[in-house]
Amino acid sequence: MAGKSGRTISAVPQKSFMKTILSWEGILLVLFIGINIFCKCISPVYNFTNVLREMPKYLTEIFLLFPMAYILLMGEIDISVGSTVCLSATVACLVSNAGLPFGIVLLAGLATGTVCGMINGFLAVKFRELPTMIITLGTQIVFRGIAEIALGDGGSVSLVNADGFRMIAGKVGPFPYLFFVVIICAVIFTVIAEKRVYGRSLYAIGSNSRTAFYSGIKVNKVLFTAYAVLGFLAGVSALFLISATYGANTTTGKGFEMDAIAMAVFGGISTAGGKGKLTGAVIAAFTIVCLRVGLGQINMNAQVILIILGLLLICSVLLPNISSALHKTRKKA
Amino acid sequence: MKKKILCTILSAVMAASLLAGCGNSKEEQTTASAVEETAAEDQEEAPEADAAGGEEAEPETDAAGGGTYALVTKSAGNPFNEKEAEGFQKAVEAIGGTAIIQHPESATADAQITVIQSLISQNVDSICIAANDENALQAALEEAAAAGIKVCSVDSTVNVASRLVHVNQAGVTEIGQCLVDAVYDITGGEGQWAVLSATSQAANQNAWIESMKEIIESDSKYAGLELVEVAYGDDEPQKSTDVTQALLQNYPDLKVICAPTTVGIAAAAKVLQDQNSSVKLTGLGLPSEMAEYIGDDDAHSCPYMFLWNPIDLGRLGAYTSAALVNGDITGAAGEKFTAGDMGEYEIVTAGDGGTEIILGAPFAFTPENIEEWKVVY
Amino acid sequence: MEKKSLWKKITGSREASLVIVLIVLCALISVKSPAFLSMQNILEILKNNAVIMIMSLGMLCVLLVGGIDISITSTLALAGMSIGMMYKYSVIESTLLGFVIAAAMGAVCGLVIGLVISWGRVLPIIATMGFMYIYRGLAYLVAQDQWAGADALGTFKDFALSNSLGLGLINNVIVITILCYVIFYIVLKWTKFGRNIYAVGSNEEAARISGINVTAVKTAVYTIMGLLAGISGALATSVYASAQPNMQTSKEMDVIAACVIGGVSMNGGRGSVLGALLGALVLSVIAKALPLVGIDAIAQNTVKGVIIVAVIILNVLTQRMMDKTNLEKREM
Repeated sequence: MAGKSGRTISAVPQKSFMKTILSWEGILLVLFIGINIFCKCISPVYNFTNVLREMPKYLTEIFLLFPMAYILLMGEIDISVGSTVCLSATVACLVSNAGLPFGIVLLAGLATGTVCGMINGFLAVKFRELPTMIITLGTQIVFRGIAEIALGDGGSVSLVNADGFRMIAGKVGPFPYLFFVVIICAVIFTVIAEKRVYGRSLYAIGSNSRTAFYSGIKVNKVLFTAYAVLGFLAGVSALFLISATYGANTTTGKGFEMDAIAMAVFGGISTAGGKGKLTGAVIAAFTIVCLRVGLGQINMNAQVILIILGLLLICSVLLPNISSALHKTRKKA
Repeated sequence: MKKKILCTILSAVMAASLLAGCGNSKEEQTTASAVEETAAEDQEEAPEADAAGGEEAEPETDAAGGGTYALVTKSAGNPFNEKEAEGFQKAVEAIGGTAIIQHPESATADAQITVIQSLISQNVDSICIAANDENALQAALEEAAAAGIKVCSVDSTVNVASRLVHVNQAGVTEIGQCLVDAVYDITGGEGQWAVLSATSQAANQNAWIESMKEIIESDSKYAGLELVEVAYGDDEPQKSTDVTQALLQNYPDLKVICAPTTVGIAAAAKVLQDQNSSVKLTGLGLPSEMAEYIGDDDAHSCPYMFLWNPIDLGRLGAYTSAALVNGDITGAAGEKFTAGDMGEYEIVTAGDGGTEIILGAPFAFTPENIEEWKVVY
Repeated sequence: MEKKSLWKKITGSREASLVIVLIVLCALISVKSPAFLSMQNILEILKNNAVIMIMSLGMLCVLLVGGIDISITSTLALAGMSIGMMYKYSVIESTLLGFVIAAAMGAVCGLVIGLVISWGRVLPIIATMGFMYIYRGLAYLVAQDQWAGADALGTFKDFALSNSLGLGLINNVIVITILCYVIFYIVLKWTKFGRNIYAVGSNEEAARISGINVTAVKTAVYTIMGLLAGISGALATSVYASAQPNMQTSKEMDVIAACVIGGVSMNGGRGSVLGALLGALVLSVIAKALPLVGIDAIAQNTVKGVIIVAVIILNVLTQRMMDKTNLEKREM
């Protein structure tokens, strides 16, 4: 078949080795290795065991990355997820302290997260003309506000009996359980995004929501589900967070939303929707985690680390843009 | 093809800029953080293998020399924490160890957990921490203890299970007593007063406020004092200002505001002084921030206030860490140790069932001595 | 053309419905706390929220071109902290110079953001999220763990106390706020640049084809936002007589909320100075009133959030009603 340009387009896309390497995911992989070598050089204690041991704190954020990527793929956003984590953690702790069995505690945490997500989804679907940014800005304040009320004057609750949560924080060899859960989630979410109708409809909605609607995709349903799933995983994240803090307070989960969005964007997912791959986001997430662990180990000023992450975020979008712009002008010339 | 090459180059540039970024920022960092850098570099050059420690360390005794002592503050960008860190640094240098000062990226327990995990990896000898949440650090600190790291808290305590001993700036009841007496004195024995605190979950502030309430209830001398409200300014100047103004409007008969937090007291002092209000202020504040507002006449809003010396607090934290590492103390009540040139301190039982070391009584800053202290901290 | 009835006028205009919301709010509050509508209190509200109100103007422009800026409070902190340290170490003394330096720093910060967004074609939310971290981090580095307190600021803090600019009647801070609003009202309504902003926001492609330099307009808008954030940094330092590296953290969301409450569309092209003003006022009144009416400190955030969500939804419903009436008219 001859395309417009006269070139032949084969039905099966060719994937040369060079192309794989030079895709954004390939570059990220190179960067991931590069950063690991870099960290190894600067920090004498940067090794496998230590990185795995420091990782759980960051892994709780990576949970949120997957559904957040889905939402970003649709061109929407959720900045209330940190507050959802806070509220879920609060509810789980309060239920646990009420002496109820551990299973119910887990259920309570997950249910709270899911309900929060469903509220966001409901508002997003019912008021399509409102940007989700502003809806979730509102719910961000409300969810954390409710958690503040529930926590009462002390603003913090700690588990009376942390046995169940100690179990969650367990390890298989050097690998924390959390690690496996994150990997499983990563696989499931990537497969759905790449191979399933649901995943492909995310891309369709992100490219053009109206076209997607007219071509028979149930936009509202997809949107609602994505928010509900994000809420659910925020609940999961909250449970693992409790296993690291044996409690919750009003600052629990603060800034998670920004971290999750930053990881997704660094992984090549466009906040304008329709573009990016989950594999990229996963590699990006682990790259950032490794970098933070490495820089933390040489006791770099925390603010400087934030500056570096900010630069990294901007450069990851800016440089490809500039390169393609240069390419275009050269073509014109 | 050109595009591909360009892409590769750019990604290489990105990686390079990352490395350069770290390099540059290292140079950019000035005095305060430079110290941390040297500490970190020392570590790089001489990891655990060299027991004598880094180049600048002067090992006096084998037992004390070469240790690595870490201090984790509540947050960056707060002069109180900085002074505390300064004292800690000095004391560690005096005993010939290496100090690691870490300010978490934000004033949350989450950020502190990250820092603690990193310190465990670095295999430090001790961690001295000013906690943002009493209980949330337990898992991380238990892990540190399991790795053989001696843990003590300073300024703001962690729960009993997480620490060996707490270095307390002053006894909770002592501070409560001081503040109640100040309120009693300034009101003239009776009238309405209010508390402007930090956040509602600040452990220190809550303990002090609780103790103040107990003292007032327990002694009929204070029967004339009426606590109308405990307001929270969240340690934000803007919110503290709003809340102070609301207090003034809601309680026209208010006589005294007591603000046991450095941000709140400064914001409240400004509101009262700007409005020429008859309401007076006392509490806990930094002399350098409060010098402008302290005075006996009507033009000043704060007759006097209290605080302790954050530098000494940091130093005592360092000496306590060293004593724990050397095995001079185990953190049990009744033990005594010599904190360098600060003299001898005794470990006592704390209100929460654990043990603590008390730095001393809170110090009063009056119009007479404020000029002298505002340049110190 | 038939004359609109008063009722239609009110339901038909977003600003009018906001005015009603504001009046109802004030009325409810003054029942509970009669002192609320006193002159002194109103001036206090304006003064304490000057920073939010001024930045809302910049945010209005940014939202009008279809962008967003969440780095503003970091820019504010960097500018405020820098001049704070300059006063502390007596590098500068003059109040005016402080404002000029802060404004210039803010403008440069904004310019960089603008260039990255317009030339580098980075999405605004990402670019400004990155700069949010960068500028905030720089503010911490500038501060070196110090504050610039009342003592260090010398005469600079007197600016926020004196009424010299307001002919002895109105506080300087409020005068500057009013000045900003007047300038922006004129610029957005009657100048070419102002209309260009609307044009770019309504339809970027159409604007480009009709000869508007879209890149320049976008860059200018972010520079203006930075400039206002810089001025706000100086104002905040003066009003609170204290510069801290974490000042006004996460207040950018309040500014965005103020604009959206005021009916500014986040998709660009729709919104007015009056709307931004009303939105900022609603938020300021809420912030001030919650402690006054005796709502528990821990419940205040929830109430605030619920009110924000309610007002936004009310906005949408008004808009829907407007669209519906317009449609009905067309059928006739």
